[in-house]
Amino acid sequence: MSDRTPHVVCPARELPPGERRLVEIDGRSIGVFNVDGEYYALTNVCPHQRAPLCAGTLTGTTRATSVDDIEWERDGRVLTCPWHGWEFDVTTGETVFNPHRWSVSTYETDVIVNAEAVAAGEAQPAIETHPVDIDDGVVVVYV
Amino acid sequence: MAETGTNRAEKTLSLIDCDIHSQNLGGMDLAPYLPDHLRELRGTSTPGSLWSNPHGVTRRDVAPKEGESAYEALCRQHFDEFGIDYGILNRGPLSLGVAADTEHAVALARAHNDELIDNWLDRDDRFLGSMLIAPQDPERAAAEIRRVGDHPRIVQVLFSSASGLGVPYGRRLFWPIYEAAAAHGLPVAVHPGTEGRGTARPPTGAGYPSRYIEWHTTLPANYIGHVTSLLTEGVFTEYPDLTFVCVEGGLAWVPHLMWRLDKNWKSLRVQTPWLERPPSEYLREHVRFTTQPLPEPDNPEHLRQLLEMMHADETVMFSSDFPHWDNDSPTFGIPPLPEELHRAITVENAQQLYGLPDDPAELG
Ligand code: FES
Repeated sequence: MSDRTPHVVCPARELPPGERRLVEIDGRSIGVFNVDGEYYALTNVCPHQRAPLCAGTLTGTTRATSVDDIEWERDGRVLTCPWHGWEFDVTTGETVFNPHRWSVSTYETDVIVNAEAVAAGEAQPAIETHPVDIDDGVVVVYV
Repeated sequence: MAETGTNRAEKTLSLIDCDIHSQNLGGMDLAPYLPDHLRELRGTSTPGSLWSNPHGVTRRDVAPKEGESAYEALCRQHFDEFGIDYGILNRGPLSLGVAADTEHAVALARAHNDELIDNWLDRDDRFLGSMLIAPQDPERAAAEIRRVGDHPRIVQVLFSSASGLGVPYGRRLFWPIYEAAAAHGLPVAVHPGTEGRGTARPPTGAGYPSRYIEWHTTLPANYIGHVTSLLTEGVFTEYPDLTFVCVEGGLAWVPHLMWRLDKNWKSLRVQTPWLERPPSEYLREHVRFTTQPLPEPDNPEHLRQLLEMMHADETVMFSSDFPHWDNDSPTFGIPPLPEELHRAITVENAQQLYGLPDDPAELG
């Protein structure tokens, strides 16, 4: 699915919804998030002042069409930077306040079962250090 | 007392941080330093804020790790991480300055200063301290300056930028503070956070804001009031050795103040005959401003222009505000500036003001 290399993050059951994992791949720090069963990965560097973005709080955000019409939305998929609170949508890497100019890099993710992981080559050694049930999968990130 | 030659400094110091809040990492317990009856009856609480920040006030990523002390966490994440040569610990509770109970406020300031001296200032050559006073009781504030102001690592007198007495800080009733500070060679500094709390008036004359975003954005209005008061009341003609430091009060309003005040002085000087020169000249000599939160205009050139307008090569000193939510990174929080200006802001202006030797160990 990607011309990039898959790297094993962890067994899927160790990354339940609402949780995150930080991984270091080729010197890059990357956060991998489970949002309602879907996996998303983004770079752990905030574009503002380079804070460790993925240490921030995962929450929702507000949207309003008028001052009397406010909705709480995107619950569980908005990452707020631990420094100045800029909000990033984990599913796109884009800031809430200005999606066209400010965003962070995202990476493709997947859950693959052992057989596929073995076929994926580089993932293999790591899988051996994270044994999983054959029915279970491992979360991988393509970097 | 200290070596302030800039030529030597160029070879040694690389960064002085004028605003660090070590207490937000823990490790500051003032209760043991209070008189028994106040510890029992009042504890250490001071007036709280009416405005809450959705992200909290302390950065989410700075809590000490398992088994790590507050001191170690402070060094690891800030002093060591960014190669800071000197950092001024500006600790709370600043809102003692707007407490109704003056006895308690005075005792808390003393407790803070004793704890600072006991546990922090001798611990690391890079640490400098601001002593706290209760500005609503100027006589006893002055007595506190006389009590601890000679400690070699206490470099400044600090209090809340919100006045708890309903009048700005240039008024004569505050002058005992300035007299004592000047006598001990200490700048006086104010720091925000207490605007609208306790006995302070609304954060601006416009009245009470609704939310933190409004409260935080308008904090400089209070600073404009104090600096204008200090300049026009004649504090700096009366205490020619005094420096007033505006910590975290913003920068972009300073050109406005200088230009408007000078223009008005030409017309209205008759009210303030002790000002023999345009007021902006006193400001350049006697008022200093710390950087954080540095303005971030879309065009960085506008920031450079602003710094030129306010004579930042003389008046501005770097501050991070670590570890607060709006802190500026020492490396990525300042855009590229001409080398001399960068050096003045990050080292020289603070080194000169606080009389800091090139070798922090020499300070004693
Ligand atoms: S560094 Fe992330 S919001 Fe400033």
